[in-house]
Amino acid sequence: MSAFVIQTKNLTKTYKKQAAVKNVNLEIQKGDIYGFLGPNGAGKTTTIRMLLGLIQPTRGSIELFGKELKKNKMDILRRTGSLVEYPSYYGHLSAVENLEAIRRITGGPVARIAEVLDIVQLTKDAKRAVKGYSLGMKQRLGIAAALLNNPELLILDEPTNGLDPSGIQEIRELIKNMPRQFGITVLVSSHLLSEVEQMAEKVGIIREGELVFQGRMEELVSKASSGFRLAVSEPEEAMGRVLDMGLDGRIKGQLLELGPLTDAQIAKLVRHLVEQQHDIYRVEEKRKSLEDIFMQMVGEGSAS
Amino acid sequence: MMLRALSSDWLKIRGKGIWFLAALGPLGLVAMQGLNFGLRYDYLMKQYAADPWGGLLQNILSFVPIALFLGCTLICSLMANVEHQLSSWKQLLALPISRTAVYSAKFTLAVIILLVSCLLLSAGTAGLGLVLQLERSEMPIADVLRIGVAPFIASLPLLALQLWLSLTTKNQGLPVAIGLTVSVLSVFSYKLHDAIPLKWPLLAYTGPGALQVIAGGAILGACIVGLGLIHFNRRDVD
Repeated sequence: MSAFVIQTKNLTKTYKKQAAVKNVNLEIQKGDIYGFLGPNGAGKTTTIRMLLGLIQPTRGSIELFGKELKKNKMDILRRTGSLVEYPSYYGHLSAVENLEAIRRITGGPVARIAEVLDIVQLTKDAKRAVKGYSLGMKQRLGIAAALLNNPELLILDEPTNGLDPSGIQEIRELIKNMPRQFGITVLVSSHLLSEVEQMAEKVGIIREGELVFQGRMEELVSKASSGFRLAVSEPEEAMGRVLDMGLDGRIKGQLLELGPLTDAQIAKLVRHLVEQQHDIYRVEEKRKSLEDIFMQMVGEGSAS
Repeated sequence: MMLRALSSDWLKIRGKGIWFLAALGPLGLVAMQGLNFGLRYDYLMKQYAADPWGGLLQNILSFVPIALFLGCTLICSLMANVEHQLSSWKQLLALPISRTAVYSAKFTLAVIILLVSCLLLSAGTAGLGLVLQLERSEMPIADVLRIGVAPFIASLPLLALQLWLSLTTKNQGLPVAIGLTVSVLSVFSYKLHDAIPLKWPLLAYTGPGALQVIAGGAILGACIVGLGLIHFNRRDVD
């Protein structure tokens, strides 16, 4: 058995000669929160649908829990919970009835329905018809449905899409707790880096069907950083000290603009300036948007 | 597995008006004949003096094929719509249950609903006969049951086809249009060749070869279910 909960090899899906997903090799370890990033239409949902056996790959292999999906589909799906894009629900039924409709298929105790409703904080509204729910509540119901069967792996496709900031916050907290509280591995997709950044330890970036980056979040964050801006007292003098330390930079207005620095470098610099009696008002990191990083990565890809 | 899916479907169609429709069809048919016989009671009683029950059954029968075809079309479409409406397929089919079980559960449920409908027709026919003061002792119980069940079995091919179309196309316009066309055509089905399935609901009751027609309906129905199942299993779910 391999160490990966999800492993795909050269996963490809072609629609009418156009490849929606090209040679994707995902590697997700047990206990990870894996952020699956990409702009709309990049192939995230197609990949996720293939992982759940909803659509057939044109080429390549998928292994979940170290077993081939095709041959062990029932066993794998029994250990997996999912929410694909917008939540699916039966509007005329209440939250409890919606979950009961799923429970009748998956088996499991009736008491679990109350448990998952409690986890997503819907207990109060459990008896109302779902069509009257807010989008955030429907999304939470979708997560409750995904959790119903005590999954070891949770696959969430754009779980915060269309939510307001407080809804996003709620879902994020919910997801962050999954590995800690329940030992669940989570794959969560999004088109916003900022959203995934706060919960995922590992990320994969897909662009036009190709996985252009896969690695730890810190690696990506360091790529996203394009430098620092410091607001200090006596900027000209401070700039001299920066140059003395062997760092690159220039003055722009009252600010010092520096290139990308490691955590250790920036700490050392700040300490040095403080020791030299400079007041430090602000240390800002200049960051590129996700789209910029995509462009950068794709640029690198075609250069090599 | 299939029973689990069936029990889940049972819950899902709650409050969708499907059971209401299933009751409305046969009761409407019976009410229509009630009106027919009520308005022209003396004339019709004279005409069917030799066999009043037979006359009633014959009048009911003429509307059974169209009612059955309409029923198959609407029940399948309503059932499929429960899943199509909010794209619940992706959630349902990502559950640990085989597509075969999901599909057969839907077919079984459609059969159960329509069977209830057909038995209501038999019961309603018997009731109407008694209300019209036909002789209770002369009631041809076998025929009364046959009028509910035989045409239904003979229309299984259409039920299977409608279910297949409804479950696999998101836009219900197409399956409903096909179903309606078939229903309207069924009014003229007595003019068709015996080999054409549209005529089977009629033949299954009147003959000739009623038993063969019923068997044919069951077999052809099973074949279409099989084909639909193969397609449904291979389909990509969007």
